[in-house]
Amino acid sequence: MSQHLLSLLCGLPLLSAFVVLFAPRQMVGFIRGFTVLSMLGTFFLSLGLLDGHYATAAFQFPERHVLVPTYGITYSVGVDGISLWLVLLTTFMTPLATYASWTNVSTKVKEYAISFLLLESAMLGAFVALDLFLFYVFWELMLVPMVLIIGIWGGVQRIYAAVKFFLFTMVGSVLMLVAILYLVAQYKAQTGHYSFELAELKLLLLPVHVQVWLFAAFALAFAIKVPMFPLHTWLPDAHVQAPTGGSVILAAVLLKLGTYGFLRFAMPLFPSGSHRLGSSIALLAVIGIIYGAYCAWRQEDVKKLVAYSSVSHLGFVMLGIYSVSQHGISGAILQMVNHGISTGALFLLVGVIYERRHTRELGEFGGLAKVMPAYATIFVIVTMSSVGLPATNGFVGEFMILAGAFMSEHLGKNGPIFAFFAATGVILAAVYMLHAVLRMFWGPLTNPENEGLSDLTRREGLVLAPLVLLIFYIGLYPNGLLRDMNASVEAFSREYTAKLIAGDRNPDRRDMLEKAWVPSDGLGAGGAQLEQPAREVQLARAGVVARTLEGGTP
Amino acid sequence: MNGDLDSKWLFAIVLFPLVGALVNGLFGRKAGRGAVHFVAVASVAMAFVIALVMFKKLIGLHAHSLGNSEEHAVLSFNAYEWFSLSNGGQTLSIPVKFVMDELSGVMTLVITGIGLLIHIYSTGYMSEEPSYARFFAYLNLFTASMLILVLGSSLPLMFVGWEGVGLCSYLLIGFWFENEAYAKAGRKAFVANRIGDFGVILGMFLLAVVCGSFEFADINRFAMEHAPALTSAVALGPKGTPFLVFPGITFATAATLFLFLGCTGKSAQLPLYVWLPDAMAGPTPVSALIHAATMVTSGIYLICRLSPVFALAPHTMAVIALTGAVTALLGATVGLVQNDIKKILAYSTVSQLGFMFAAVGCGAFAAGFMHVYTHAFFKACLFLGAGSVMHAVGAHGDADIRTLGGLRKYMPTTHWTFLVSCLAIAGFPGFSGFFSKDEILLGALSTGQLFSFAPWLGPTIFGMLFLGATMTAFYMFRLYFLTFCGEYRGGPHHDDHDDHGHGDEHAHHDPHESPAQMTVPLAILGFGAIAAGYVWVGIAHFEPWVKWLAPALAELKEEHGATAPFIAMGFGLTACFVGIFTAYAFYFKGSETPAKLQAAFPRLHSLLMDKWRVDELYEVTILGFSRFLAWFAAGFDKYVVDGLITEVTSQLVMVCSFITTRFQNGLIHSYGAIMAAGTLALTFYVVAPHPRPSMADPEGLKVKFDAEHGLAYTYRWDFDGDGKFDTEWSEDAAAQHQYADAELKRGVVAVFEGAAYGRSAELSELKPGERLHVSKRDLGPAWQVDAKDDSLPSIVADATGVLIQPNGARVMLGTTLQPGNVKMHLALGEHATIGDARLSVTGVVHPRLSVRNAFGQEGARSFDLVLPKVESRIVAAVAGVPGVAP
Repeated sequence: MSQHLLSLLCGLPLLSAFVVLFAPRQMVGFIRGFTVLSMLGTFFLSLGLLDGHYATAAFQFPERHVLVPTYGITYSVGVDGISLWLVLLTTFMTPLATYASWTNVSTKVKEYAISFLLLESAMLGAFVALDLFLFYVFWELMLVPMVLIIGIWGGVQRIYAAVKFFLFTMVGSVLMLVAILYLVAQYKAQTGHYSFELAELKLLLLPVHVQVWLFAAFALAFAIKVPMFPLHTWLPDAHVQAPTGGSVILAAVLLKLGTYGFLRFAMPLFPSGSHRLGSSIALLAVIGIIYGAYCAWRQEDVKKLVAYSSVSHLGFVMLGIYSVSQHGISGAILQMVNHGISTGALFLLVGVIYERRHTRELGEFGGLAKVMPAYATIFVIVTMSSVGLPATNGFVGEFMILAGAFMSEHLGKNGPIFAFFAATGVILAAVYMLHAVLRMFWGPLTNPENEGLSDLTRREGLVLAPLVLLIFYIGLYPNGLLRDMNASVEAFSREYTAKLIAGDRNPDRRDMLEKAWVPSDGLGAGGAQLEQPAREVQLARAGVVARTLEGGTP
Repeated sequence: MNGDLDSKWLFAIVLFPLVGALVNGLFGRKAGRGAVHFVAVASVAMAFVIALVMFKKLIGLHAHSLGNSEEHAVLSFNAYEWFSLSNGGQTLSIPVKFVMDELSGVMTLVITGIGLLIHIYSTGYMSEEPSYARFFAYLNLFTASMLILVLGSSLPLMFVGWEGVGLCSYLLIGFWFENEAYAKAGRKAFVANRIGDFGVILGMFLLAVVCGSFEFADINRFAMEHAPALTSAVALGPKGTPFLVFPGITFATAATLFLFLGCTGKSAQLPLYVWLPDAMAGPTPVSALIHAATMVTSGIYLICRLSPVFALAPHTMAVIALTGAVTALLGATVGLVQNDIKKILAYSTVSQLGFMFAAVGCGAFAAGFMHVYTHAFFKACLFLGAGSVMHAVGAHGDADIRTLGGLRKYMPTTHWTFLVSCLAIAGFPGFSGFFSKDEILLGALSTGQLFSFAPWLGPTIFGMLFLGATMTAFYMFRLYFLTFCGEYRGGPHHDDHDDHGHGDEHAHHDPHESPAQMTVPLAILGFGAIAAGYVWVGIAHFEPWVKWLAPALAELKEEHGATAPFIAMGFGLTACFVGIFTAYAFYFKGSETPAKLQAAFPRLHSLLMDKWRVDELYEVTILGFSRFLAWFAAGFDKYVVDGLITEVTSQLVMVCSFITTRFQNGLIHSYGAIMAAGTLALTFYVVAPHPRPSMADPEGLKVKFDAEHGLAYTYRWDFDGDGKFDTEWSEDAAAQHQYADAELKRGVVAVFEGAAYGRSAELSELKPGERLHVSKRDLGPAWQVDAKDDSLPSIVADATGVLIQPNGARVMLGTTLQPGNVKMHLALGEHATIGDARLSVTGVVHPRLSVRNAFGQEGARSFDLVLPKVESRIVAAVAGVPGVAP
């Protein structure tokens, strides 16, 4: 069973969607119960992933079947330290989000359930796919249920938000598809056969200017998903209009596919291109941190406020990734999980009050702590996690990211400067989140409509409690998660740097890069080999044709 | 550190209050008051008892280690690894490790001891508070955080406590959250602290980068053993080729300034002190514990903790000393005129913290820390006394001292303890404050070589502190006389809200003494205000204190003449007596002078009443600007960013659709016309000849050509580009040709790859005698043999290759560096490296393909063929590179 674990994980929600498809529409209770149970099943199944051997960087639970031999399309899946916790985050958050939204979704329950099941399947698939074709299929498959969730069960302007979400995402994806096809064509040109497999395509070392373009196409798709400033404007609309469950999944999981895409695809495939644009991306990330925070401060709609805070938080994640230092990347992955938990929890909490008051305007609230003490307590705890208070999960991630940027060799002199400005985000986070807390919970209870609001119900408590526990667990013992990331992250950062050096044609400059980036643990010796002519022989032995690209062929 | 003693109980000191907070936070709401305060008080009491035992153990260790001066014996317990930063084989581990040494030991005792008293006091003071459990949960959480702050062995772990106490402060200031002003005061405290925390994070990173550790012990050892590394200019990046250099600013200065920013936030110094006066919105025991005795002193603790690093940064020390002295004066001046009891105490705290900073800034770490210790007693006592007064007269939030008076006879215990504490803070001889204030003044007098760049600094600070001390004595006794002497003036007016949960039953009654839960802690603290000093002082000097702290603090050579201690003491006593006497004359005797002074300087008085209007200044500058930025960002996002992306694109689509819909107009004749035009164009395209040559990789000088096929095409080739076709018309598109050397030498191509990273190869075809253009940028940073000569190399083509005249450039043929300025010839197929650029010489021919279609129309095209091929940019995998997974 364990060799098919990943297929089971992706398949179970899909299968459940089929079951729900044939369930009578009147059996609302059955549909709801079955959906959540099958999602829980998926979650418990996914716990089996923890048995993997993550002390190595190799992919665990790998499975590979050739689907279209002519074009080298394979069904190839696996998890490593980078994707493990994101997969678990997905299987963990989906049942919570679905369960939490039961009471406020009463129309088209069957379709709602199917959408969520399909969405889970697609998200899991996108996290474990190791073949670009497969990834692209899952990537686009995610789009459909999410657009439906926003467009059907959303707020007043749901159609606008859904179309905006769709178009934004689509623009990036289509360019990414072009880049994938070009990449595969290059692979064919050099090896004589097609392959969409990541492991194969990673072997190509393309000229820098080609890499820049291909990277830009991938990066655009991912940056829209993240979303990075200035491509983020779909997010506030999507969040505000989406139903609670949709917002939770969107914030907790979907956005992570953007950052994950950088780590899994864009950077390993095009290291030189990525390096060329790296500082600019980090700069955009820093701008996003500060800009998102300032925007959040002014929002009157709590959901919009949380949406802008996501822009700010994911700026941190991107900064960590582009520090390309191990702790920066580990911190970024941890922060992806943290953001999933804390922002997911925030959206759940906003959903709780929205269900009672049918408004999310800050001006409508005030003094809620008086009538809803438990709700206020959990809200404050989650807020503290979101602003990165030590001993909650948010701190460790932010700390590692800032340290990573501060000490980053890849960002060079920009690193400390970026870290400096990013750290102001720590102040601003406190400003806008406490602003919201102040206006919602403190002060006198002036609005008569807020009198007599009921505190958290048992169901709401059941959904929020595991999130609160996780906030403290990760905050106090982050090594539980970081431990499994280390090997993969180390390999990632080493491979990235080595390919950058190998991709540089100038021996002297290669020397310089090595001095700057390659740690002294033996990689330096390997780097030196690059200069020798014997390298081409090595490459030929490795089965990849070495040939000139420039210098003659028209 | 061979003296490390694995002491699990250190962890317990932290755990007890933490568990207490958890229990009360989770179950307190439903539990009875007795259970709640039992849990709260017992957990702190346990922590105190354990701390005492551990401290005793520490004293033993300390005595033992005095013999061998190399070891700094401490108690430490490593619980587990929290997380680690690892990069490229280097790992910075951040353990959850607690260390008790001389410094943190004293702090631990102060926190748990005074904390315990204040917990007990609170059971009385807060007895009618509905959110009783919430209060104690916060208070316990605070105690735990504060203990983590002082016991944490590394900067990040300390930071847990550092932010934790900030959180508790936020929660406790806004404890009565229904009052929006209180909630806002809480938020203000949190944000001000966060600004400081930002500095702590950056300072922490700078220290970790230089010292290679986050552990206090490692950083301090590094500072003592490798001082030059810290006193060198800030340069970040790999050794030898730093990325970021700040000449003139040393690592120590930068790191300590960042850390000091954190201290100004936590310890309420300029410019971030503004939150502390507002923090008095919290319940009075909170003001005593957090905003007087413990949390606000953590900035001084941090500086003492890292004193070896601070000692390396005299400029930072000057900034600290000046900030402290200015804050001391600022707090004292505001305290002179305020009328609310807690407000006076709050500004007094700001001022006293300024004294401590001035002391540590002058290098008198032990003196500054001594004041932390003594201040904890008398200021806690003063606040609790103020609470007791407010309890007695039924005051809300704060009490105006002009409405009090004569309380001496109603509440004797409160009166005596308050008087004792006033004497202590005024520095009356024999009381604890006397010793510490004396030492601070002495410290300012004996800065020695520390401020050698500004010798006036020490005396200036001394003068400011003397003034501040005089004012302190004055306003404290103004407070005392107005509150406790004379006749009772009827108490405050009552409005809707009550400070400590009492109803209005106290209104218009005579004041009464507080219950025993409140007076006993007061008495103990009052006793401490007298006696706390004696534990540590010898006759007229505090040698034992210095000796005790010596292993934990940096040593700065104090240079003062034999008379300096007497000068300091003289000034200290003068300040005390002048202040007390003036207050006595003004307020006990009921002089008219204060009113006259107020009338004489109305603007100064209102400026002081308004606390120098610093809050208002911040409001219109920084806060206003930030709000503007937020307003601007939100609008910019809505109208510009989103507008550009959504509106512009959608308009673009509209325009395109407008154009294309014109063609879909439904008129048959227009469709017919378009179809006819299209057919015509297609026909023309198909019929026209398209010469499209292609070729395989050359094998040596032999090249196989091919051409794209077309309808009834015939082809002919001119392989060497001399204008004469070498083949006849043929229906076979394929052809091949073996080139002779002579054919190639007609054209020479220099393939030049510049140094700039990623710059693609440039093909330059040169006729004999033509010169290849090169620039310095192409050649990279180190292209010269001799830096003085920066004439560029000359590269001139001849019939068979190129001639290179290096002109001082580094030219390598193969792997050997060409010596001297010798002209060299590069033939076809050879290459050289000039600076960082690569120059390859190869031949070029321009073959020509001619195509004829069925109608006899001809089309021809020339193209470039470079032979022999240049080994340039290699397109290949990195398979085989070690460390890269295949």
